[in-house]
Amino acid sequence: MNAHDQWKQNTSDPLGLSDLEAIEPGYDGWAQIESALHTHQANRRNWRRYGGWLAVAASLVLVISITLRNTENQIPTGVPSPEFATPGTNLASVTMQDNIIALIGLSQNMEEQVKKLRQETGSMPAESAIYVAELEDLIAQVDNELSLTPDSVDLWGQRVNLMLDLAQIYQQQWEIDYGRMASL
Amino acid sequence: MNLDELTLAGARRGDIRACEKIYRKFHKPAFTVAVRICNCRELAQEVTQEAFITAFKRMHQYRGESPFWGWLRRVIINHAISALRRLPRHDAVELEDHMATSKGDQDGMGHCMDLEHALQQLSDEDRLVIWLHDVEGYKHREIASMVGKTESYSKTRLNRARARLRTLISDDNQETSPDTALNAMNALA
Repeated sequence: MNAHDQWKQNTSDPLGLSDLEAIEPGYDGWAQIESALHTHQANRRNWRRYGGWLAVAASLVLVISITLRNTENQIPTGVPSPEFATPGTNLASVTMQDNIIALIGLSQNMEEQVKKLRQETGSMPAESAIYVAELEDLIAQVDNELSLTPDSVDLWGQRVNLMLDLAQIYQQQWEIDYGRMASL
Repeated sequence: MNLDELTLAGARRGDIRACEKIYRKFHKPAFTVAVRICNCRELAQEVTQEAFITAFKRMHQYRGESPFWGWLRRVIINHAISALRRLPRHDAVELEDHMATSKGDQDGMGHCMDLEHALQQLSDEDRLVIWLHDVEGYKHREIASMVGKTESYSKTRLNRARARLRTLISDDNQETSPDTALNAMNALA
C-alpha cells in the first residue's frame, strides 16, 4: 500500500473496519436456493402455458370493453355513421388497430403510474420485492415477444394486465408507508 | 472478485450449475455483508438466501457494466435493510466471536476483536451507515437513497457512529488493560 492509498484509507475508513475478517457462514444454503429456482422455473413454464390464456382472456375483455366504448362514443344512436357506408373500408382492421393504439396508450399510462409510485414508495418487504421481480421478469418476456410481433393485441393486453398488477403492489406499499407516516 | 462471462451467461439463461458456481464464489462475502448490517447470524442467513434467490431471478437485469459483486452486494444490502425494517427494535442477537480462529499478529487481532465487539454495540442505523460508507465505499448520496433519508442524515449518522466506536474501543481497552497487566505480572512471576 503506498502513501496515497494509506491516506485514502485513513480518511475513508479511519477506524480500519475494512480490516475485519470475512465471516464464515457455517452453513450451506444451496439446496434451498436450488429448490426455489426450480420452482420459479416451473412457475414460469406454467405461466407460459396457462397464465397466457388467462391474460389473453383478460385482454379480450378489455378490448371488447374499449371497442364497445369507442362504438358508443363514435356512433350516435339512430344516426348511421358515414364510415360504415364508405365502400372498401376494412372495419375489422380499423377496429383492431384502434384497439392496439388504445392498449399501447394504456400501457404507457400504466408505465408512468408505476414510475411515480416507485419513486414515492420506500423499500418494501422481501416477499413483495420478489413478487415485483417476478412481474418485471414477465413484462420483460412480453416486451421481448412484442419486439417480434408488435401488432399483437394479446401481447399488449398481457402487458397492460401485468402493469396493473405491478401498480397494485406499489400502491399497496405506498398506502402502508403513508399509514406509517400518518401514525407518527 | 471477478466472474467469467460463461458463468454469467449461463446464470442469465437460468442454468442451475452456473448459479451454483456463483453462489459458491460469493456466499462468504455476501454473508459477511449481511451479518455486518443485520448484526445477527440467523437473520443474515435468511437475508443471504433471499438475496441470492432474487439475484438469480433477476440476472437478466445485470448488464455487465459494473463488476458483478457490486450488483450482487446491492441486492444483499437492499434485502438486509428491508429485513432490519421488519425487525422489532433491539431484537438482534449478539454475534459470536468470529475472530477466535483468525491468524495474524496479536496486536492487530486485539484491535479487530475490540472493533468487532464495538461494532456490535452500535444501533442498527449507525452500524448500517458506517459499514456502507467506510467499508463498502458508498457515498452519502447513495446511502441516503438506500435508506430513504437525506444526505445530512447519513453524514450525521456516520460521525456519530465513528465517535461512538472510538469511545467503545477506548472503554474496551481500559476495561481489558488491568487484565493484561495482571497476565504480564503472572508471566514474569
